[in-house]
Amino acid sequence: MNTISQSPESEVDGPRSRVQSQGVSGTPVLSLEGVARDFSDGRVVRRVLKETTLDILSGEMTVLAGPSGSGKTTLLTIMGLVLKPSTGRVVVGGEDVTGFSEDSLASIRQQRYGYVFQQAALVPALDVLDNVLVGTAIQGGRVSAQTREKAISLLSGLGMKDYLLSRPQQLSTGQQQRAGIARALVSDPILLLCDEPTSALDVESSHIVLDTLKKLSRDPRRGVVLVTHDPRVFPYADRLLKMEDGAIVYDTRQVAG
Amino acid sequence: MRRHAAVRMLLHDRSTTAGAVLGVVAIVFLVGQQLAVLFGLLTLMSALVDNSGADIWVLSQNSKSTSTAGDLPIRYVDRLAGLKDIEWAQPVIYSAAQFKLPDGTSQSVGIVGVTRPGLVVGPWRMAEGGSDVLLEYDGVTVDKLDLADLGNPKVGQVVEVNGRRVRIAGYTEGSRAFGPSVMFVNSTKAREITGIPADRCTNILIKLKPGVDIRRARAEISTLLPKTTVLTVAELASSIRVYNLTSTGIGSSFGFSALIGIIVGVVIITLTMYTNVLNRQRDFAVLRALGARQQDVFAIILFQALTIGCIGLLIGFFLLGGFLFGVKGSRLPANLPLWLPPAHVLFTFLMCFLGSALAMRRALKIEPASAFR
Ligand SMILES: Nc1ncnc2c1ncn2[C@@H]1O[C@H](COP(=O)(O)OP(=O)(O)OP(=O)(O)O)[C@@H](O)[C@H]1O
Ligand SMILES: [Mg+2]
Repeated sequence: MNTISQSPESEVDGPRSRVQSQGVSGTPVLSLEGVARDFSDGRVVRRVLKETTLDILSGEMTVLAGPSGSGKTTLLTIMGLVLKPSTGRVVVGGEDVTGFSEDSLASIRQQRYGYVFQQAALVPALDVLDNVLVGTAIQGGRVSAQTREKAISLLSGLGMKDYLLSRPQQLSTGQQQRAGIARALVSDPILLLCDEPTSALDVESSHIVLDTLKKLSRDPRRGVVLVTHDPRVFPYADRLLKMEDGAIVYDTRQVAG
Repeated sequence: MRRHAAVRMLLHDRSTTAGAVLGVVAIVFLVGQQLAVLFGLLTLMSALVDNSGADIWVLSQNSKSTSTAGDLPIRYVDRLAGLKDIEWAQPVIYSAAQFKLPDGTSQSVGIVGVTRPGLVVGPWRMAEGGSDVLLEYDGVTVDKLDLADLGNPKVGQVVEVNGRRVRIAGYTEGSRAFGPSVMFVNSTKAREITGIPADRCTNILIKLKPGVDIRRARAEISTLLPKTTVLTVAELASSIRVYNLTSTGIGSSFGFSALIGIIVGVVIITLTMYTNVLNRQRDFAVLRALGARQQDVFAIILFQALTIGCIGLLIGFFLLGGFLFGVKGSRLPANLPLWLPPAHVLFTFLMCFLGSALAMRRALKIEPASAFR
């Protein structure tokens, strides 16, 4: 556990600082326009996500909260281009991707998105470094030396330097989640989507992960969305959205504006 | 990275990988072994014809196999002597007889009467002594592999065939045919044993001069000897094989065993690979979310199937080699024609892909969104 208390701050922003000058904080990296999603369980069709229009802005941390079953993951997976909305349009970095093919969406996910899953979701067959790199060359080809170096530097920055060749099963959940964050960052994503990244972690590890994500959201090129039902996460939010029953019922931006 | 991930996944799920490899080994070994024995038997069936040293065999009318009634007139040989394309023509006697065992019972044998001094259709491989022992008046050969069947007669021992006394003059080694043991003997003694009269024989063997067109020669001989069946060695060999395969049920029994091997193998591959994908659904979903397209998942599973196929082939062929080495020189005939191993490799890969089809189908259906569930 001693590596968890080690501060990840020193290096995690290192490889990023070069690109920080690009982009302006507060521009929409992702826009949902009238997006809704229906699920049918056999006979009944249920509207799990009601029509939602929403901009995710760069340079800030958007926290999406709400009770279980309120549609947070549904909304996040639509943002993440892994779930198609039943209606509405999805615009990524100014480009409408609604009608894009599966393969094009996969490429956008690979190049511009980063995901942090609830339980890290590392591939147990791969060591930590390969887990971080696997997405970058999953469409074939080799991992460049540059990318490899970047992955190592990201992992080192997160206090994982000594675990590059460890198997996920050999890591604590906190360490797994940090490897998961490194994986999400290795492609320099403009959008970082996190679904309950701290729910499996103890308080100390949670704070390390949240601090890291908060710092990452300071990049003016990048938007961070974090789904949670843990009120302890709220203080980290630049913008807090609350969902209930498939609709956003509270938005600090609207309240402020 | 796809290939790296594919191999890592195989190594990680060792037991299922080993299971799938076992399926491949089952196909390679069981099918290969069945085919080796089948081809061994096919070779044995026509061994006498293939090793006769002749180009054309004349059989009595309507005959499909070598062993016949022995009603070909010997004068046909003289009739053939007039043809300019013929190097030589020799009468042969090939007939069934009863070999008396030490315990008083008897055992069926095939008597091949070899014409002196040419010894045409004589034994093609001797273990002890030369085939010139057949020049002796009462000398016969028995094959080493048949010794046990015949009560282990020693060289020099006098035995009884069809009530006639003959002397074991030498052992042949693998000069055998399909069915009863073959004993070679000179034609005079063969007539004595089989009772085929001096003006008759069972077959006439013909050697053509070099460069002669075999089909034309056969047609010519056929018109010259209208009441006979004239076949080239190749035609007769395949006719004997087809006859034996269909009349004995060997063909279907081997086909059935090979089919069982294939089914068992494909089922094992299918089950293990499918189970593997089911267990690793989340991994595939995560990879999809991280940017893997369906074709990348396809590539991973395909590469896994290929890897499993290669390892299985290696082990399978190693075992097959061991089997072939083990039965070499035994009574169980086994041989693999040269074209067979490559065909078997191709077939095995095909079965491997067939076995991975269900796993592939499942894997391609995995939604990237399920990584978040
Ligand atoms: N693939 C699906 N098929 C059918 N129904 C679904 C599917 N995915 C989600 N749902 C339904 O949509 C609703 C919202 O689910 P979602 O996972 O978005 O909620 P959530 O807010 O993330 O909940 P939690 O906090 O428990 O993760 C639920 O009622 C769920 O049953
Ligand atoms: Mg959820």
